[in-house]
Amino acid sequence: MTGGSALLALTLALPLLMLLAGLHPAWRARLPSLLWLAPVPALAAALFSSGSILALPPPFSLTLALDRPGAFLLGAAALLWIAGGLSAPAYLAGKGRYVAWWLMTLIGSLGVFLADDLVSFYLLFSLVSLAAYGLVVFDATPSVRRAGAVYIGLAVLGEAFLLVAFVLLSQASPEGGLSIGKAVAALPGSPWRDVTLAMILLGFGLKMALVPLHVWMPLSYTAAPIPAAAVLSGAAVKAGVIGMIRFLPFSTALPAWGEALVVIGLVSAFFGVAIGITQKNPKTILAYSSISQMGVIATVLGMGLASGSTAAPLDVAFYAAHHVLVKGGLFLAIGVVAATGSRRLWPVFLPAAIIALGIGGLPFTGGALAKLAVKDVLGYGTVGTIAAFSAAASTLLMLHFLRRLAASTARDPEAVAPTRLVQVWWAVALLAVALPWALYPFVSGSVADVISPAKIWDSAWPVAIGAVLFILLTRIGDRMPTVPAGDILVAAERLLLASARLGDGMVRIEARLREWPVAGAMLLFLASCLAAAMFWAR
Amino acid sequence: MSPDALTFPGVATAGGFWLVLAIIVPIFGILGLWRAGPRHTERVGLATLAAGLVVALAIGFQILRSGESVVYFVGGWAPPLGLALRADGLSGVMVVMTAIILGATGLYACGQFGFRRDGIERRAPLMFWTMILAIWSALNLIFLGDDLFNLYVALELLTFAAVPLVSLDGSKATMQAALRYLVFALIGSVLYLLGTAMIYGAYGTLDIVLLSRMAGTETVLLVAVALMTLGLIAKTALFPLHLWLPPAHAGAPAAASAVLSALVVKGSFFIILRLWFDVLPPGIGEIGVQGLGTLGAGAILFGSVLALRQPRLKLLIAYSTVAQIGYLFLVFPLATGSGAVAPWEQIAWTGGVLQLASHAFAKAGMFMAAGLIYDALGHDRIDGFAGLGKALPLTVLTFGLAGMSLLGLPPSGGFSAKWLMLSASLGEGQWWWAIVIILGGLIAAGYIFRVLAPALGSVDQPLALKGKVSRRRECVALSLAVIAILLGFVPLKPSETLQIGRLVTVERVMPDGGVAPAPGVQP
Repeated sequence: MTGGSALLALTLALPLLMLLAGLHPAWRARLPSLLWLAPVPALAAALFSSGSILALPPPFSLTLALDRPGAFLLGAAALLWIAGGLSAPAYLAGKGRYVAWWLMTLIGSLGVFLADDLVSFYLLFSLVSLAAYGLVVFDATPSVRRAGAVYIGLAVLGEAFLLVAFVLLSQASPEGGLSIGKAVAALPGSPWRDVTLAMILLGFGLKMALVPLHVWMPLSYTAAPIPAAAVLSGAAVKAGVIGMIRFLPFSTALPAWGEALVVIGLVSAFFGVAIGITQKNPKTILAYSSISQMGVIATVLGMGLASGSTAAPLDVAFYAAHHVLVKGGLFLAIGVVAATGSRRLWPVFLPAAIIALGIGGLPFTGGALAKLAVKDVLGYGTVGTIAAFSAAASTLLMLHFLRRLAASTARDPEAVAPTRLVQVWWAVALLAVALPWALYPFVSGSVADVISPAKIWDSAWPVAIGAVLFILLTRIGDRMPTVPAGDILVAAERLLLASARLGDGMVRIEARLREWPVAGAMLLFLASCLAAAMFWAR
Repeated sequence: MSPDALTFPGVATAGGFWLVLAIIVPIFGILGLWRAGPRHTERVGLATLAAGLVVALAIGFQILRSGESVVYFVGGWAPPLGLALRADGLSGVMVVMTAIILGATGLYACGQFGFRRDGIERRAPLMFWTMILAIWSALNLIFLGDDLFNLYVALELLTFAAVPLVSLDGSKATMQAALRYLVFALIGSVLYLLGTAMIYGAYGTLDIVLLSRMAGTETVLLVAVALMTLGLIAKTALFPLHLWLPPAHAGAPAAASAVLSALVVKGSFFIILRLWFDVLPPGIGEIGVQGLGTLGAGAILFGSVLALRQPRLKLLIAYSTVAQIGYLFLVFPLATGSGAVAPWEQIAWTGGVLQLASHAFAKAGMFMAAGLIYDALGHDRIDGFAGLGKALPLTVLTFGLAGMSLLGLPPSGGFSAKWLMLSASLGEGQWWWAIVIILGGLIAAGYIFRVLAPALGSVDQPLALKGKVSRRRECVALSLAVIAILLGFVPLKPSETLQIGRLVTVERVMPDGGVAPAPGVQP
């Protein structure tokens, strides 16, 4: 085993060991203060293990591998998990066994970037999806419980889609193998190609919260405590992104599927903003911003799939890595601002303003680089233009968020947030700007190219439009309609009620079947049916 | 009919006496129980379980080492004159699985039905241990017997041993449940016996190996198999003939429920497998297998939805058994019939057996966990479970792990089984079964979540426990659930062990005296 593959193993092994250590009461007490340590091997792996492969011997059919898109996401996610681990104890101390849920979600969240075979990917994806339930549901209030139930229901539904997709992929694969790369390469020739792709898009689209499968996201992020919302919105949701990157066959152009994904992505990008600006809770606004940003990512993936662009995965990973730190950071900022008085606001608010506007593409921020990186894949036609306008919409949403953030300070104007929380927040904000600059040379052009006036103008005008829109929005002010978080969920819940009525019907039928005369008649009926069926079919 | 069809193909193999031991060790155990008196009931019972486990492992080892069936002729007379005992790969798996689960049940039941120095002497301990050992002997006879009438005797023994377990506490409700069970099981027996008589009349033998060489598409065989299958279905509680199962399995003491749900219903199912895969020629009964699959699909959907609606934990688990039995019956359309071709047929076969085994372990663990919860709370109403995770962490973990296998999350035996069955159904183009499998998994997630969500939720004040729960019993239940998880590490491909001694691969004697090559065997 080389050093690189040893780090891959350690990425999963260290949090797993910590999880086991939690079984012992003495160790359990020390775990919260060590939580930040769990993702450190992942960070090291992202730096040094690119290109490594690790196949565990049977019976553990686990294969881990790290390519460059995986390394981008793994590194960013590890940084956010470290930040989350440093701040979690301050928020969650005394809130039950959060450490176990935290570590399980972490293993899944970091593991999906490494998994190289279908079963391992499914296992780790299930882990990050299902264990996150424990991070969402802390309080026993009805709204939190509803959020938890919606979350787990849709997560399990997503798992079901993916199970079908993966079984079909293994059948497409030569000799029924389980390697992801081989299976995806063989997918375009599979007789089940379209069903498989539909299942992949449904399964990972649910995880990415693409419209109309987004309803769980605003509820969960609003319900979850700050550090949990940070790691879920930043890192865990990228399980969907890496899924799309790994499982869509970018080596073959599939225009119809690509265009479908583009449409879904663009709808999500604008829908997220449209509902987001009606929201008041900063956490809910960020959730809708995530829906919008995942929409942009889906658009890029769709364009890549339509043209068979093998560059798309790396560009998307770069864009998503930036989103990991920004979105996670902004959730941490909400917590810090809530503990800060209005007179002490600026030192913690200013970084939030910079990275939030970075989502809209503010020049010189990491966000501007992210937008540049995906520009070639988006193209310079209609989709490229619409995407540029979505940046304007994002700016609008972020300005709305900043206004609500500034209004959510602590009551005492002189209050100061705990030093560690402030420092962690500053570090994440700094990384959100610095990391894209450091990684940009690995993606496409040179850094010098970026600071040309033309490129700066490209980034600046959507931000300017967004600012103008924001001024218009403030004019409308309170006349904005109020949309409940989870918007179309209300309609979906009606559907659920209908299915409950179906269940009632089944209960009644079953009660009849358990009556003696009915059961006896059933027995005779089935006996004659079976005999007749076999007689005719011989 | 060719006369040489009536000579048993093959000879008695070495180590055949282990098969006899597997059947008679529990009988000796029962004699010991009755001889030793109430003080020693538990000790004798446990010693028998330990001895039987050794025998079971020896049989499994024998099959693995030789790579072929272990055969024993009772009294040295080969069929059709004598009786044969035969352990193929599948029997080996079943025998070992049964020994492990019964051993765990014995450890779990220790102290429950044991001798109390201070109390008055009661009937229940002796009854419990006697019936458990009788069930064991009957199950081993079913797994090893090669003669259809032998299997009938074993089935009757199984029924008459299982019914008293249901009504062990003697209350009116459980007596009623037991009676229901008894009447329905007896109807099943009559149908089975009728079919057996028809087959004997037509072929002059009831030996499965001999029948597999002679059976063709004779009408009498098809009707006989249909009748026997129906009788066995009634005993297996396949939907819509499941009326007796929920009250019986939910009313029995937890240790008994574990055995009933995990093992007893599998006994009659095992004979259906023998009839359809060994006796009937392959490819016969096209519509029949689809019909069995349809009933299985109905069981999955109805059982899961009903489990979702139960207010009490033990009823929920009982309905989950109804649903899981449904999965077992999907093996018929997937592993036989014209659509089933290599390698999908073997994949479905492996998936079906894996489903059987992982359900057995998971369900036994789950019923034991439910029993512990009942002991601790004094009730098993799910809406009273808030804070259970803090009070009984190991037991809730057991329930969670067993639930993971039932709903098919990796890594678990349930997941691997689901993967294999999905592969087979999509590979054969019978995609409708895949939809049912997926839907059943989704609803299963719902009923598992219904229990875990309140149990793991945070509460203001800790749950008040009525009784103490022994750590040993918690660990026994947990270890069964862990085995269900570990089954997930079997490779996701056709199992070679399960192919050992399968009769599908033997040559069949045609009516004209010629020999048909075994189907599915690549030239």
